Amino acid sequence: MAIIERPASTNEVATVATPSSSLGALKRPVATTGWKSWLFTVDHKKLGIMYSATALFFFIVGGLEAVLIRLQLAAPNGKVLNADLYNQMFTMHATTMVFLFVMPMAAGLANYFIPLQIGARDVAFPRINAFSFWALLFGGIFLNMSWFLGGAADGGWFMYAPNSGPIFSPSHGIDFWILGLQLAGIASLAGAVNLITTVLNMRAPGMKLMRMPIFTWMQLVVQFLLLFAVPVITVALFLLSFQRNFGATFFDVSAGADPLLWQHLFWIFGHPEVYILILPSFGIISEVLPVFSRKPLFGYPFVVFSGAAIGFVGWGVWAHHMFASGLGPVSVAVFSISTMAIAVPTGVKIVNWTMTIWGGKLQFTAAMKFAVGLIVLFTIGGLSGVTHSVAPSDTQQTDTYYIVAHFHYVLFGGAVFGLFSGFYYWWPKVFGKLLNEKLGTWNFWMMVIGMNMTFGPMHILGLQGQPRRMYQWTEARAGEGFFNLGFWNTFASVGSLVLSTGILLFLINVVITTRSGKVAPLDPWDARSLEWMTSNPPKEHNFDSIPTVSHLDEFFHRKYQEDASGQMVKVKTAEQVMQELEDNADAHIHMPSPSYWPIVLAAGLPVIAFGVIYSIPIAIFGGVIVLFGAYGWAIEPSTAPDDDFDPPATTKDVVHVG
Amino acid sequence: MRRRVVGAVTGIATTMFLAGCATNAPQDTWKPKGPNAKIIDDLQKPVFAVAGIIGVIVTAAVITAVIKFRDKGQPIPHQSHGNPALEITLTIIPALILTVVGVFTFRTVFDLAKTSDTEMIINVTGQQWWWEYDYPVQNEFGITQPIISSGQLVIPAGTKVLLRETSRDVIHSYWIPALNGKRDAVPGRVHLNRIEADKPGIYAGQCTEFCGLSHANMRMEAVALSKADFAKWVANQLKPYTSPAENTLAKEGEAVFMNQCTRCHQVNGMKRADGTPVIAAPDENLVSGAAPNLSHLMSRNTFAGATFDLLNTTCRKDVWGADSESFGAKYLSGVSEDCLNQTDLRGWLRNAPAMKPMYANPALLASTGGKYRGMPNLGLTESDIEKLVAYLLTLK
Repeated sequence: MAIIERPASTNEVATVATPSSSLGALKRPVATTGWKSWLFTVDHKKLGIMYSATALFFFIVGGLEAVLIRLQLAAPNGKVLNADLYNQMFTMHATTMVFLFVMPMAAGLANYFIPLQIGARDVAFPRINAFSFWALLFGGIFLNMSWFLGGAADGGWFMYAPNSGPIFSPSHGIDFWILGLQLAGIASLAGAVNLITTVLNMRAPGMKLMRMPIFTWMQLVVQFLLLFAVPVITVALFLLSFQRNFGATFFDVSAGADPLLWQHLFWIFGHPEVYILILPSFGIISEVLPVFSRKPLFGYPFVVFSGAAIGFVGWGVWAHHMFASGLGPVSVAVFSISTMAIAVPTGVKIVNWTMTIWGGKLQFTAAMKFAVGLIVLFTIGGLSGVTHSVAPSDTQQTDTYYIVAHFHYVLFGGAVFGLFSGFYYWWPKVFGKLLNEKLGTWNFWMMVIGMNMTFGPMHILGLQGQPRRMYQWTEARAGEGFFNLGFWNTFASVGSLVLSTGILLFLINVVITTRSGKVAPLDPWDARSLEWMTSNPPKEHNFDSIPTVSHLDEFFHRKYQEDASGQMVKVKTAEQVMQELEDNADAHIHMPSPSYWPIVLAAGLPVIAFGVIYSIPIAIFGGVIVLFGAYGWAIEPSTAPDDDFDPPATTKDVVHVG
Repeated sequence: MRRRVVGAVTGIATTMFLAGCATNAPQDTWKPKGPNAKIIDDLQKPVFAVAGIIGVIVTAAVITAVIKFRDKGQPIPHQSHGNPALEITLTIIPALILTVVGVFTFRTVFDLAKTSDTEMIINVTGQQWWWEYDYPVQNEFGITQPIISSGQLVIPAGTKVLLRETSRDVIHSYWIPALNGKRDAVPGRVHLNRIEADKPGIYAGQCTEFCGLSHANMRMEAVALSKADFAKWVANQLKPYTSPAENTLAKEGEAVFMNQCTRCHQVNGMKRADGTPVIAAPDENLVSGAAPNLSHLMSRNTFAGATFDLLNTTCRKDVWGADSESFGAKYLSGVSEDCLNQTDLRGWLRNAPAMKPMYANPALLASTGGKYRGMPNLGLTESDIEKLVAYLLTLK
């Protein structure tokens, strides 16, 4: 932000930039408070918060869709939704949760914490960072506008051709879906480039790759996965777009095409995507478990390399989504074996987490509860995953509720529990207040019970033959006995309400904490990594002076040292560590300045998308907006020149943020 | 003590899981009724067991750690960074387990792909939202003319049947859990799928690849008959058409059928008054270009993609609940007037899209050039329906 700020040790008031000349088409925005300071910000922390808030909003949307699905399936021949609406609902539930909740939430946390964890003052390309966020937000809104413009996409999130073609899905739902995802894809790609550059180039002195906090490591793997996976789905979506909007025949059998092309493209993206969703949460709990066990992550290099191994092998398993597609025995056998192979590095992680808490001094804060919950729930999902790798067995289970059970244990018990662990752990860092621990405990138990009630019975439903994606189930296929499939369907629906209550408790916790929460001490958890070596919330420029790193868990080793008897004893308080940084405050900190251009450029994208669906002139207008944005962006310097500040930033002891 | 508690919990959990299952669920994947499903089952049961044991061990370890290492004021533990020997051991053990599983998986995959031992071939074609079966001429089974049927796949028990699957529109998936895993039916491709039933009986299945609006209503059954009964079934399917006697309600029904239904539905051998054969032309009216052949509708006991029963509740129970000895005779007797599920059949004739969601609204056919997907509401009068039901009952 374009403000001049002194180090926290002095109490001078920040002053605002006053651009003296117009650079590019518009004068630089200068607001440091109010909505304008958010709209035009390039600060990674503000953007991180906006990413996460957006993700949380879509989590609620996707959750409501899930509840509607469960209400429909609570009883045989459900009448809550009709077939058409149900198909839209499960398509959008999955799309929303994957692309608009877990991915942006992970991106939000990455944005906020990667620079802090590596001792940087921002990301490498702050304006691109802002652009990524706006593209994601506009993509998400665009995608959901289809609900009000003739119906949402109804082909399932996997959108298999030819069922996604114009004949079989004539509404505009799938067009909105394709273009919305393209926008989100642009956001992910730009974000990936940005974060990879940041991690590789902007680490604090002394922070070798193998001293990097594990969350940053896992996020680095995720960004590489995004970098290579997103282009694949982009191509697939373009093909589908051309098929639907411009009469192309990429998947049209009558034109000699093979619909399996789509499946290969989709899953070459889709399987790495699974690791894109889960690895950030692996990273989070690999931070949380050591902090609340008071000991380092067990086998840090194994966790790093198993994460990287997952990142590589993850590219060689896509066809396990297609064991029933008719690939022939050779492909099926090969992908079956590669899928078993990827279970090994995943298993390594579970061993490491368990060994991390083994022998520790465990404190069961809400963050810790969610982290430990993840170990068990993810293990269940992982093991049912191993049963799918046995291809012949998978031909019985695929497209049944057994699969639904599996990936909800992995993605809800895994990814979502990890994110919730992160919420409780990092909330004081971001907002300076501690979430209520008592409510957090209730939140945790309601979610554990609710999720097991909802997804646990789905193992039984699937193994006893209930297929997925059916808008109704019938008693004729439900079997006999008290515990028939009807019972478990109802049970799962009740469970979904318990689960929703758990999530509602989190939202209540957020409201209560915001209104009257306990102000967080500087180092509430006695944490281990760099992001805690600054105030809560962090200053605009993150660190007064960039720390020199000599350990993994640098912050911990600054606070604790072994005494003569080998016992770890506290030698410094967090406040003292902070004071050292302040005492050595850098004289001249140059922070990137806010800009209008990221949001302008991003705003052109949905206009183009509308144009593709409705009328080409609108698309051209959108293109003009994009060009205008790119022009303004190109000729605007990323930081305001010194003489734009009032008073001019000349004195040596001034931290120069802007 | 702790070990005993864990053991007890595991025992209770397993018992609960098994007791928690439905009995006689028609699509149970753990109740193989033929050799293909059996070798899958033999492979997966040990895998499930091993996975279960590992799950219990991990859970027990975590719970133990949670109880044992809870903060009770102990000093901060030694900051050890791991134990590579232990790590490597715990990496190799699962790798070895998976190698063993992998070897057996490999074998089973190739066993299930074998086609050299095929005894009978049936072409299976999926379309929104029903299955068509086409039996090519196979003289050794008495199939001297192709037989076209739908909904219920009739096969001889103890015979290795090879299904050649394809689709006329979107991707569907053929799945009779008791007989084999699923295999997708993809337009433009022919996929092979082995099935074989040990004993006569009826085995439920369902389309398992999402195929649009009425995916939930695309069901099927495999009906296995003894070889002798199968020969009877074939003979009946090849029986020439007999028009209903003059001056009967059924005869009037035939006229209604000829007017309203033969645009899409074929009844083999049906002739107009002038002696010309009535040939259906579904390709002019439907996206998939096919509608179920109704020549022997009442020899099956479900209709509309096996979504609805042609048998009323009592008669259905009698057939579905029959033991393998008496099943054949009961199935071959078809649907009599006393057994007919009048409600659903009449409801269907009255307004089909109201009973099963279909893209059959004439106002919404712009994207398909006026072609339907599924059966439209024909606007039949009650007297037409009365006549049609009488006529359909003659199609045995």
